[in-house]
Amino acid sequence: MAIIALQKVSKTYNPGLFKKKVLAVSELSLEVTRGEVFGLIGPNGAGKSSTIRMLLGLIRPDSGSITFLDRPLEDADIQSKIGYLPENPYLYDHLTLEELLAFSGRASGLSSKETSSRGGELMEKLAMTEVRKRPLRTFSKGMLQRAGICFALLHDPSVVILDEPMSGLDPIGRKMVFDLVTDLKSQGKTIFFCSHILTDVERLCDRIGVMVGGRLIRILDRDAFAESSGPALHLLVAPLSEDQRRTIEPLVSDIAEERDHHVVSLPTAALANVSEQLKTLGVEIRGSRSDRLSLEEIFMQAVEENR
Amino acid sequence: MKKVLALALITYREGIRNRSVFGIVLFSLFIFGLNIAVAGFFMRDVGKVTVDMNLSALSVAGLLLVFFVGVNLMAKDIDRKTIHLVLSKPISRVEYIWGKYFGILFFILASMAVLFVLSCFTVLLLKGMYADYFGQFSWLVFSLAAFFVFVKVAVLAGIVVFFSSITSNSFITLVFSICAFIVGVSIEEVVFYLRSAFAAQEAAISGSLRSFIEAISYFVPNLAAFDFKTEAAHGLPLAWDRLGLSLGYAAAYVVVLLLLASFIFRRREFN
Repeated sequence: MAIIALQKVSKTYNPGLFKKKVLAVSELSLEVTRGEVFGLIGPNGAGKSSTIRMLLGLIRPDSGSITFLDRPLEDADIQSKIGYLPENPYLYDHLTLEELLAFSGRASGLSSKETSSRGGELMEKLAMTEVRKRPLRTFSKGMLQRAGICFALLHDPSVVILDEPMSGLDPIGRKMVFDLVTDLKSQGKTIFFCSHILTDVERLCDRIGVMVGGRLIRILDRDAFAESSGPALHLLVAPLSEDQRRTIEPLVSDIAEERDHHVVSLPTAALANVSEQLKTLGVEIRGSRSDRLSLEEIFMQAVEENR
Repeated sequence: MKKVLALALITYREGIRNRSVFGIVLFSLFIFGLNIAVAGFFMRDVGKVTVDMNLSALSVAGLLLVFFVGVNLMAKDIDRKTIHLVLSKPISRVEYIWGKYFGILFFILASMAVLFVLSCFTVLLLKGMYADYFGQFSWLVFSLAAFFVFVKVAVLAGIVVFFSSITSNSFITLVFSICAFIVGVSIEEVVFYLRSAFAAQEAAISGSLRSFIEAISYFVPNLAAFDFKTEAAHGLPLAWDRLGLSLGYAAAYVVVLLLLASFIFRRREFN
């Protein structure tokens, strides 16, 4: 069942008098199912944030329809079921994190007890407990991002919408958020998120939508990723003697020499046979790499094709 | 209502912790101190001058609070897109408008209550020093006049919320609100003049200008209706029906403004 469904949604902005209208989203159709992690990627100005704002009802589409659990957005009471983290969240400067979460709890209809236990749990997970009584204006960008995540997840929403959740985070903060999203995924939450950090998108998402110029040009799922893998596998082995080279040459497609090792290229199906032979010959396997296209390469290809 | 109060509470806290509030309180303290220092120069009028200066200080402080802190409490939410986060919670846009208004109102009430207490100390001190010249002074009338300064600022807070709901820039909200204030304090006198015999002799005032100003006077708030400084300074009795009428006018004006703001806000898009 589709939790979120967009049908031919278009949105144009009117920047003002005598200025040309800007097409932000064009004929966008997509569905996000229960428990799925859907990532939306695209260059700046592709329409990702506009899509999220339409989902939240902050802006209205010019045409098309958006449904949440098969109900039109206006009737769906979406806010009680979602948690939203905007890109660069601007929070209230003079409030403390504890007060911000108390507000989030009251606004979401939680009791003070629920707010405090759930808030404590989230602050603990995101290493924010020690700073909970500090005014938000003293927080770094990464801390604000994590505070925004606590605010978004306090009421335990079933759908989480994250706009650039890793933006501004240091590697430790990124790891924390990454683990949190993985945790949400394991709890069966539906996650819709935009990010420019493609490695994170690749690792976290079940499906990935690529947007360019307001249009959704491609949706990649796990199978599409597997198909994007090339047929060859490359083993990095210790330097081969002439005899060793002659023995394995008939089993592989290519042997190349690189600085202090050889690269043996072989069809993926021949891996068992070749590794057995290398073991018999006493050749050390130092590593491997595949022909698999990275998401970045797929993304760049898609963008180039649609320029 | 719980959500309105939750929003009002964070708005109040955000306002009361703003450093500008300390500046405004210090400014008022300076005026109160100045009042004590110069009161002796006014001889027989010391009572009137004291009341006038105190109420004026309260009024200026209230205006500074609403224009320089109050404006930021709502307009900055829209400017900085904090509203995206707030509206992602189950808070309707109408609840947002009312929550923000009550938050600004609580913040102004708390700040002005502190200033009023300080003002009372000033009056008490001067009354002790120059008891002979405070013969007509009435604490009740002084307190009522101070309360109506707060009512005036509460109406201006409604105007700030209204303009914040139609613009997306805090500076524009500030400019529009100040304009509304300037027109609001002078409109009553302008209308009285136009209706007087003197105006009838003025060739420069055309019929259409007269009709335009008459029409405008129904839309802008008549802030002179909340000015009881003269009565307080001279210790004149205040008619309860006049007070009730002014209070009712303020409440009705604010409710209409907030209903309009809610109506506009529900249709607004937040990019």
